[in-house]
Amino acid sequence: MASQDTLSVSEVTPERTWRRFKFPGSLYRYLGLLAAVAFLSLSVNYLNIPLDRFLGMFGRVGDLITDRYYPPDIEYVTDPDYIASVIETIQMAYLGALFGMLAAVPLGWFGAYNVSPSRRFIYPIARLLTMSARAVHETIWAILFVTILGFGMMAGVFALTMFCIGFAGKLFAEEIEAIDMGPVEAIRATGANEFKVMVYGIFPQVRVAFTGIGIYTWDVAFRAATVVGFFGAGGMGWYLKRNVLQIETQRVAAILLSIVVLVLISEAISAFARAKVAKAK
Amino acid sequence: MTAVPHMDQRLDAFLAGRRRGKTTRTLIYLVIALLVIWSVKTTIVDDTDWERLGSVSDVLASIGNFLAIDWGLMPDLWQPALETIMVATLGTVLGVISCIPAIWFGALNISPFPPITYPIARLMMTLSRSIHEIVWALFFVAAVGLGALAGVLAIAVRSIGFIAKMSAEAIEDLDPRPVEAIRAVGGNEFQVFIYAILPQVLPVMVGVIIFEWEINIRRSSVLGLVGAGGLGLVFFRQLNTFNEGGVTAVILAILLLILFGELVSYFVRKAII
Amino acid sequence: MPILSVSDLKVRYSTSGPEILKGISFDVEPDDFFAIIGPSGAGKSTLIRCINRLVKPTSGKIMLYGDDVLRLGARELRRVRRSTGMIFQEFNLVNRMSVMDNVLSGRLGHVGNLRALFRQFSRQDIARALSVLDRVGLSDHVDKRADELSGGQRQRVGIARALMQDPKLLLLDEPTSSLDPKISREVMALIVEIAKEYRVPVLCNIHDVKLAMEFCNKMIGLQDGVKMFDGPTSAMNEGKLNDIYAMEVL
Repeated sequence: MASQDTLSVSEVTPERTWRRFKFPGSLYRYLGLLAAVAFLSLSVNYLNIPLDRFLGMFGRVGDLITDRYYPPDIEYVTDPDYIASVIETIQMAYLGALFGMLAAVPLGWFGAYNVSPSRRFIYPIARLLTMSARAVHETIWAILFVTILGFGMMAGVFALTMFCIGFAGKLFAEEIEAIDMGPVEAIRATGANEFKVMVYGIFPQVRVAFTGIGIYTWDVAFRAATVVGFFGAGGMGWYLKRNVLQIETQRVAAILLSIVVLVLISEAISAFARAKVAKAK
Repeated sequence: MTAVPHMDQRLDAFLAGRRRGKTTRTLIYLVIALLVIWSVKTTIVDDTDWERLGSVSDVLASIGNFLAIDWGLMPDLWQPALETIMVATLGTVLGVISCIPAIWFGALNISPFPPITYPIARLMMTLSRSIHEIVWALFFVAAVGLGALAGVLAIAVRSIGFIAKMSAEAIEDLDPRPVEAIRAVGGNEFQVFIYAILPQVLPVMVGVIIFEWEINIRRSSVLGLVGAGGLGLVFFRQLNTFNEGGVTAVILAILLLILFGELVSYFVRKAII
Repeated sequence: MPILSVSDLKVRYSTSGPEILKGISFDVEPDDFFAIIGPSGAGKSTLIRCINRLVKPTSGKIMLYGDDVLRLGARELRRVRRSTGMIFQEFNLVNRMSVMDNVLSGRLGHVGNLRALFRQFSRQDIARALSVLDRVGLSDHVDKRADELSGGQRQRVGIARALMQDPKLLLLDEPTSSLDPKISREVMALIVEIAKEYRVPVLCNIHDVKLAMEFCNKMIGLQDGVKMFDGPTSAMNEGKLNDIYAMEVL
């Protein structure tokens, strides 16, 4: 086009213009952005968040940690009673994850659109159950079960069960929705009923993925298990609550530290186990 | 058929092979079952105050209390619901802002000095993800006092891990050619970031942020339990005044709020990506 | 009496969608090796899936072993499917299961739920599976996983699974399309032999006209959901083939 190199771009195409702003697409974008900013400033106002003192706050947090939380009372977390509560927390997470997954397998099957035995009735019910279990926070489940069953780890186990149903149920359903339908069709063609189709056509395809999700669920359940005790559902959380209330900050620091370490360990084990399962296929 | 005379032997050999496979599997199941029995004993049988729990009908009665939903409470839930959304949104925004250094340090291909900066970023991400939001909230309540700010901070800190991890992974996977192209026209590092890196990872990041925002609604709905306002606070009050029907009403409100969050995220995702 | 009789079969996948089959009728006799030929998109796959109702037709009638397939309840439908073997283009094996378990799954219509769950098949079924695997030439691969086999071997597993059903009719949906030409001929030849041995009629979708002409004794030609030809293979000629494949750009 530009055969003469002396011509500038503007001289070649004087009548063509280009603008970043295009009507109305860009208008909607800017309006959306404006609305978002407006909502944010409204929120800051409405919630009385002191923006002016905001930066100074970080200094205060730092002071707080050095003055009160440091050094952590490590001796407290090596106490046999505390270690027993750690083991109990692991047990709660184990049971919750196991019970939750036992319920999540059928829910995942019923709630997977491609293979649900009844798309009109069972599918929406399974979806609703999974979604509710997931939407209600694990601490709320803990409080509800404590109210009904009294203080203790039974409430914690059930709360974690509900949590795991929501967590694993959704992932299971997604996994089943991604399977190859060919074998399912083939098993159906042999005259098998839907249960046998599940056992032979669906489950072998997702078994490995389910094992991985199962390990991951246990890992997540353990993280949740560290706090359900805060609301009376047993385990380490109860120690946390007691020391928070008594303002034993160095003990709280030690407990938090122990939680971080335990979560890191469980994460490492879970990552290792999942990698192994994936390799074994 | 010629194979028939040997069939019995072959059958036995095959079945024996199956049984061998079964013994190891049975052993694994046995271990699982023993762990279950032991755990059930310590966590459920020994740790429950069975006398206080009463009979099955007592339990059913106390569940029944929750089913008498206090619909009258619903109009009073608008304001706390709004607060919950606001805390979740502000927390997400603050989380996105504060995870920028973690993303920068945590993506190996752009990390300024990987031997030191990369571990720092990983530590930030791990701390954020491994500590429960309730614990973060407790910490910030102690630091800045009761109120929404503690909730916003807790949500922000808790969001860093996931957003930073996903974004850093997206940056590590990005196509290096546009980066070279911008360098070739003489762009500096900042311009490279704005013109070559950001456009490539923005869709992923937006998706991740919206996803995190959805989760944050669920989180902020309970932070009131430890003093950060919103629906959690109402929940706590209803519980302490033994108004079980009100408790259920708050839970329903939370469900609706989360449904609302899912709808919003669905439309925003559609509009942006 | 024909073993399968299809009359005026029509299929539409959605009420507003195009009509895939526009009134197809034909009969399959007890000793037929029956081919359905036609260009891709003609509706061959849909037609064969209607026979055991993997696809539900919009209207028409399918009489199979004296049962009106479209009017059966779930339980009776499973009974009909149980006696109808099916072999697929993509083999449709469960890749993570062993060859043996894939073959045994052909008996699922005959075992109870609990036995199926714990994979407790009778000695008789396992003996049958072993001899069927001998017949298709896979005696050495019994305990391998299905995805360790080659394409031709996998299709042999598919054939074995169908034979486990003790079928009264075999439905073949493009059994050779995923295989290379040499293996295709071997597999087709094997199916023809087996059909003779077990005295089971075959209804076979096939894209490869040469194979169809060589192995099948009757055929129907489909084009865009309409039947263009119906008769013995000997009556098929170049001109009619050109008509059937007229719409396909080669």
